[in-house]
Amino acid sequence: MPSIELEGVYKIFGDEPEKALKLIDEGASKTEVREETGQVIGVQDITFKIKNNELFVIMGLSGSGKSTLLRCVNRLVEPTKGRIMLHSDGKDYDITSAEKEELREVRETQVSMVFQNFALFPHRTVLDNIAFGLEIQGISQEERERKSQELIEVVGLEGFGDSYPSQLSGGMQQRVGLARGLATGAEALLMDEPFSALDPLIKVEMQDELLDLMENMQRTILFVTHDLDEALKVGDRITIMDGGKMVQKGVPEEIIVNPKTEYVADFVENADPSDVLRAETVADKDFRLDENDKVRLDELTEVELGDEGEVLKGYLSGTPVPIRPLDEYERIEEEALLFSSPDTPISEIMRARLDYTSHPVLVLKNQEFIGSVGEKNILRGLLEKGRGE
Amino acid sequence: MNKIDSFPEKYFAAVPGIIGWVVLSARTAFARVGASLLELPAMPASIPLDDWTVAVVDWLALNLGPFFDFIQLMLNTINDALLAAIQWIPIFVVEIGGLDIRFPVWSLLLFFLLWYLAGQISTGLLGLVTLWLAANFGLYVETTETFALTLTSALIAISLGIPSGILAGISDTVHNVIRPVLDLMQTMPVFVYLIPAVIFFGMGAAPGAVATVIFAYPPSVRLTNLGIREVPQELVEAGEAFGCNYWQLLMKVQIPVARPSIMQGVNQSIMLALSMAVVAALIGAGGLGGEVVRGIQRMRVGQGFVAGLAVVFTAMILDRATANIGARE
Repeated sequence: MPSIELEGVYKIFGDEPEKALKLIDEGASKTEVREETGQVIGVQDITFKIKNNELFVIMGLSGSGKSTLLRCVNRLVEPTKGRIMLHSDGKDYDITSAEKEELREVRETQVSMVFQNFALFPHRTVLDNIAFGLEIQGISQEERERKSQELIEVVGLEGFGDSYPSQLSGGMQQRVGLARGLATGAEALLMDEPFSALDPLIKVEMQDELLDLMENMQRTILFVTHDLDEALKVGDRITIMDGGKMVQKGVPEEIIVNPKTEYVADFVENADPSDVLRAETVADKDFRLDENDKVRLDELTEVELGDEGEVLKGYLSGTPVPIRPLDEYERIEEEALLFSSPDTPISEIMRARLDYTSHPVLVLKNQEFIGSVGEKNILRGLLEKGRGE
Repeated sequence: MNKIDSFPEKYFAAVPGIIGWVVLSARTAFARVGASLLELPAMPASIPLDDWTVAVVDWLALNLGPFFDFIQLMLNTINDALLAAIQWIPIFVVEIGGLDIRFPVWSLLLFFLLWYLAGQISTGLLGLVTLWLAANFGLYVETTETFALTLTSALIAISLGIPSGILAGISDTVHNVIRPVLDLMQTMPVFVYLIPAVIFFGMGAAPGAVATVIFAYPPSVRLTNLGIREVPQELVEAGEAFGCNYWQLLMKVQIPVARPSIMQGVNQSIMLALSMAVVAALIGAGGLGGEVVRGIQRMRVGQGFVAGLAVVFTAMILDRATANIGARE
């Protein structure tokens, strides 16, 4: 199963990279390096590991070096320094030191790519575009057609196999691009701003489909984007780049809750956190047991806890009510209290509160009551992005 | 302000007079002093490049004779074979109202060929009418000769031009070397190399073909080169990212994507080949150009005009036949 490891990767554009590297070691900034040596720093000292089956997002503005870094991984851009390792198909590839033929083989079978402007071949039909990688692998015509036909269905383009890319809409073209990337069977996939050129609605649709696809297919994905909402939505982990440097790395919620630099904070400022903030983060965890082992959540709501912290009973205005899982609220007919897991995004709690109940939602971690989410907690979470409790 | 505003208009009448006076006195002064400046003495060349050229041409003609003979033979063979293939198709003659009206079978074949190539029936009709008229204006043989010479030369120019263009497209060194050569080929007045062509290849179709190839070669190179260079970077990256080797990248990505531009180059080469095939009549290449030249030499305005018109129609046929090939699919 594939994983990708980057270790101290640098890319310097220019013909005297050594000079630039030396200056960087001495602590010079990007601008200083450019002024003194004329060399431009693409990426600087990047280290991270993408785990098997993970969707790892690199986010940053244009010029932050994110696309350059992505291209270092299949060496469309030659890294100046550092090591990139790929573990795939039970083999270890040292990408950075691979000879031409080995590198070609890696690209052919282990790592494929999806491009920002689709990069479909205009002279090939949809089917032939999808089959391109297979053709390079030397697979027979019949087999190629069978596989590409399969992928056409996976990406939902049945009946368009004989069309040319220019006859398709942007969203459909990128489906072809995605199918072409998946067709080779390579388990590592590089996606260079794949949805940036699409309309907002199509973009969201494609993100959802990518997530669906990834549930059924084993792929390790490096995904580049300049859109934080997209990064938060699709990414298992996110790294944020600025000026060629990695400024923060973490799961989506960490980025929102705890932006490390001003740059990241500026990004987070405009992001919608409701899909990212978890119940546990915003919950009111500061509760007191009274003499009857009851916790009062608001004027009407009380819960009774057992010895292990588990919830024994719920009360509304003193009347006992059942306790039901949050995701079943649409099927509940009587009055009940809802509970969620610590990892439930607050957007789901908001929806349930809107449609079903205005009472606080209990947050249970392995049956244990750890807090509750009421209106105030949600509002505070949204306003403060989970910071400053 | 006031003073200028109240400048009397009558003084304006003096302006032409003043200008005239200035010009006249300048001319007089210049005539006195400048005469010697204007008439420069004749200046013979201090560096005799022309003599050197003659020496080189003589040396080549003397020492590379067999090589030039071989080229001449080859060109004549291709040209004659093509001509024979064209002229082999018969012409039917029908007497209508005391006139022998000719119906060349070629006009019918051309009709279908052009219809197929251009995808439009009107282009087919253009070919039909042109050849029928040529046959009845007494220019059938000349038209076929021009066709044969044009096609021979264009074929050679294109089959040399596209590979050169591809090389220039993928290598900056080749590009930098070939560019001035192309400039030379396209801007050197054609009559300048018609003369050495005769020295090397004798009179007739062969030197005409050589001159035509030289003239028709550059557009194929230029447009192929341009097409290859304009393949979007992302497509090249896509090819590489899927593991293409150098050859696969060229054959599966760069050339197919550059195809429209390459076909435009083919079209341009054919058009330039025709224009040069006409001029090549000056060194005995015959064809429609020969008719034009004879028309001029003997002051036969009509003969020249009819032949000229035939060239125009031939050009239209060739253009329409090849313009759409790249656009199809």
